[in-house]
Amino acid sequence: MDRAVSRGWNLSWLALFLVLGATSSLWAHAILKESTPALNSTVKGPDFDITLRYNVRIDGVRSRVRLVAPDGTVSTLTLASQPSPDTLQTHAAGLNPGAYKLQWQVLASDGHMSRGEIPFTVN
Amino acid sequence: MLLKLVDLFAFLSVILRAGTLVFQSVLLGGVLFVLWVARTSSEVPNDSIARIQASSWRLLRISAVGLAVVQMLYLYVNSAALMVTAEIGFDGVIGANFFISGCIVLTAALMTAVVASGNKNVAKYALPVLAVIVMGASVMTNHAASRIEGRPALIALSCIHELATGFWIGGLPFLVLGLYRAKDLTTQWYVTERFSRMALVSVGFLVISGAIMSVLYIGSWNGVLGSAYGVMVSAKVLMLAALLLLGGVNFLLLRNTSKENALPRLRRLIEAEVGIGITVILTAASLTSQPPAVDQVSETVTMHQIYQRIKPVVPRLTYHYLEEASGPDPGTEAAGTGAAPQTQPVYNVDGVPLTTRLINNSIESESNHHWMGLVVLAMGLLALLARTGKAPWAEYWPLLLIGIAIFIFLQADTECWPVGWKSFGACWADPEVFQHRMAALVCVGFAIFELRVRQRKREGGGMALVFPLMCAIGGAVLLTHSHAITNVKENLLVELSHVPMGLIAVFAGWARWLELRLPEENRAIPSWIWPFCFVLIGAGLLNYREM
Repeated sequence: MDRAVSRGWNLSWLALFLVLGATSSLWAHAILKESTPALNSTVKGPDFDITLRYNVRIDGVRSRVRLVAPDGTVSTLTLASQPSPDTLQTHAAGLNPGAYKLQWQVLASDGHMSRGEIPFTVN
Repeated sequence: MLLKLVDLFAFLSVILRAGTLVFQSVLLGGVLFVLWVARTSSEVPNDSIARIQASSWRLLRISAVGLAVVQMLYLYVNSAALMVTAEIGFDGVIGANFFISGCIVLTAALMTAVVASGNKNVAKYALPVLAVIVMGASVMTNHAASRIEGRPALIALSCIHELATGFWIGGLPFLVLGLYRAKDLTTQWYVTERFSRMALVSVGFLVISGAIMSVLYIGSWNGVLGSAYGVMVSAKVLMLAALLLLGGVNFLLLRNTSKENALPRLRRLIEAEVGIGITVILTAASLTSQPPAVDQVSETVTMHQIYQRIKPVVPRLTYHYLEEASGPDPGTEAAGTGAAPQTQPVYNVDGVPLTTRLINNSIESESNHHWMGLVVLAMGLLALLARTGKAPWAEYWPLLLIGIAIFIFLQADTECWPVGWKSFGACWADPEVFQHRMAALVCVGFAIFELRVRQRKREGGGMALVFPLMCAIGGAVLLTHSHAITNVKENLLVELSHVPMGLIAVFAGWARWLELRLPEENRAIPSWIWPFCFVLIGAGLLNYREM
């Protein structure tokens, strides 16, 4: 290989790594298609079911749903077995009226992780 | 802190995914090349084909080790991210799909490296099996594996698509290397012809599988330009068209020209094919990490909204900041050329009124882009003028890069000396300012560098290739950089301006590469293409808008 090309290809490798370095993160592969409670909705407490349905297959064992109470305390909800590959289900109990948030983090079957929040109110 | 760490892991995960796809393609292409393309034949001298085989086996081993290393890092990063965010131990990660398929790819890649180092008779049976395992396991971490509907068909289409990509684009580096290794024209011709036949079949499968997946993942004509996924697919299609054009020229050269005339040109054209091909794979990696358009129908931008954003308007070379209700930011007054009262509300694409601060940020950003566009447009026009040969003074167009450096120095950080209140020394401590100043220095460096290249009348040797490579890298960065998570529509509209410029920069880089590398008598077309690309980028920047 001539010297010019050798240098050129050395630079190509450098270029490749620079490009890879500039490839930015996504962190949003799975999209929440619908949820109960819905975004910014009001639900009747103190007990209710929570259902989250996504656009892709979700690994329920390695996904988490956390509840943030009005005072900021965070509790991890226990997920029930998945009714379908794209759905997570859990249950909230004993909630006092106030503004809450559901924080979800899911692992899609293709290995991408995504997360999001659902603010809602309990009356 | 935890979220920042997790975001860093996610960022690394996407980078490593891109690396995996590149090495995987080279591995697949390498397997076909060593087993089928570079086969011993009575038509060619044995020692010449042996030289090609030796270098091909070496490159195959390198790609296999590269894939194993990148895959191991990917597994580590993704596992760590999952353990931190899901609060599980390592034993909880082991059953995850990505971990199982990643381990399979890692093992198969290592076995490929071992097999490629050993008995070649064993290799000829083991390598196809290992290649299929690598490809099959890899497909289990792309979109198809996680779909709800049509999963088996999508997995099958993805397999065909990745295999065809590997055979064609992944095989190109082996062909380039082979053409340098073979010293006689007969062997070079033999290898090129065999590769060409295989590439033709691969392209057919690539296009058909890609077209079907595009229909299934994009879902509507509106999604082609109205979604980030559709825009990236469109960019891939345009780059594929460029590759097919180059491939078509190669094909005609192979059939209609003598070996002596065709091979010097073929080698250079294939180099450009490799570069554009790698950019296509990086774009594909970027695609795998974002949701398909069919899943984001409510976030699709309409053609009317796109037209409103891209219709030509007078560039914003001077501007006034709007007055903020709560008073201007510190430094805003120093940066601006005055303040004007806000007359009427400005809305984003979703109809939400923009705050004065956002409007002012957009005004400043648009103005910066427009000034930059003016300089790039001037560079392109001067380069075109220089190309006519009637204006030797226009050869000094790289000096305009110094203008860009001065612009970055003065305008990118308006809080800093000499236009702002912060001292020159104090500003170096700010990472963003540091980055901008480094970019300004790089521009000055390139200006001097490219001027020297041009003074030597395009005989600058290897270092002359730096400028086209940097153009191509810049374009690839624009094509693969971040996509929208929040404000999906607004970010898409910005992306719609960046992606065409990225594409044009990629084409400009490889056109200039060809101008430098092709035989003197074949440089005419590429030597006109890249200055014209600069003109288009300048025009695109001049029409850049954020609201």
